[in-house]
Amino acid sequence: MAMQALLTELTPYVGRLCGPIALDEGPDAAQNALIIVLRDLRQLREPAALRGWVRTIAVREAVRVARRGRRDVPAELPDVPAPGDPQLAADVRAVLDRLSPAHRAVLVLRDLEGLDEAAAAELLAIPAGTVKSRLHRARRSFRQEWER
Amino acid sequence: MSAAWPTADLDPVRRLHVMAAAIPGAMSGEVVVRRPIAQVWARAGDLETELPLLVHDFREVRVRDRDGERLVADARSPLGLRARFDVVLRPNWCWCESRFLLCGMAAVEQGDDTLFGFLGGVRVPGAGRLESIASRPATALLRGTLDRFAARAEAESAQD
Repeated sequence: MAMQALLTELTPYVGRLCGPIALDEGPDAAQNALIIVLRDLRQLREPAALRGWVRTIAVREAVRVARRGRRDVPAELPDVPAPGDPQLAADVRAVLDRLSPAHRAVLVLRDLEGLDEAAAAELLAIPAGTVKSRLHRARRSFRQEWER
Repeated sequence: MSAAWPTADLDPVRRLHVMAAAIPGAMSGEVVVRRPIAQVWARAGDLETELPLLVHDFREVRVRDRDGERLVADARSPLGLRARFDVVLRPNWCWCESRFLLCGMAAVEQGDDTLFGFLGGVRVPGAGRLESIASRPATALLRGTLDRFAARAEAESAQD
């Protein structure tokens, strides 16, 4: 029953990370991530590091699953609603739809998890400069709304 | 704003598959039952009737204690061996574990139909190796268990 309790504890957190990155494939990503977490739990040496370890697995799995199932998306954001647009709050999903999985991962790590660029880069295994450029492009059109 | 961000849900059948993948010696499968979830779960949640039909190792199951969603059940094997099971039973989710055995059931609504999941497993040292050796027969057994459950649920409902 201990595994059940851990699964209950971690599922909402993993769902919050996988949902915005993997979108329609979010449940698949969350399922895969939780399998990896529970299967590899014995490799975790420091219990206090659990949340960060789970975050790394969930974000990487969400990007992998989203890339596997994704259709081509434009790199730019031509149709993003302007800041202050009353439709924007309801259109966050539509905005995320226009981003690549990696863009979405960067935004989730920075805006939901509060990671700095270096930490986000390390987690995504990409250069910090790439994180910065991805973040700049992704946030350019709706920064004010997301930071409100 | 965070409330507007999409989240990913893990439905009970997915949760069952996670448990199966994470536990050495456990295996899960699923079947679509062409009946509404309330009917399917009414059958699945009747543990004393349904578990002996689902699990070949059970000849008889008796619930002897109940405290909310937590139950204690005694199962008896065809050879007369007894095992005490700690059970969590709630709508669309059931998890039973004894010292040596595991089983779980889950259901998810799919329109007018129901996706039903079942998990079986053993809790013994080396269960993972046993699983790899016995994978094909165990998969066939699981498939048969699921198909027979679906047939029972659909036949019973058809008679109503």
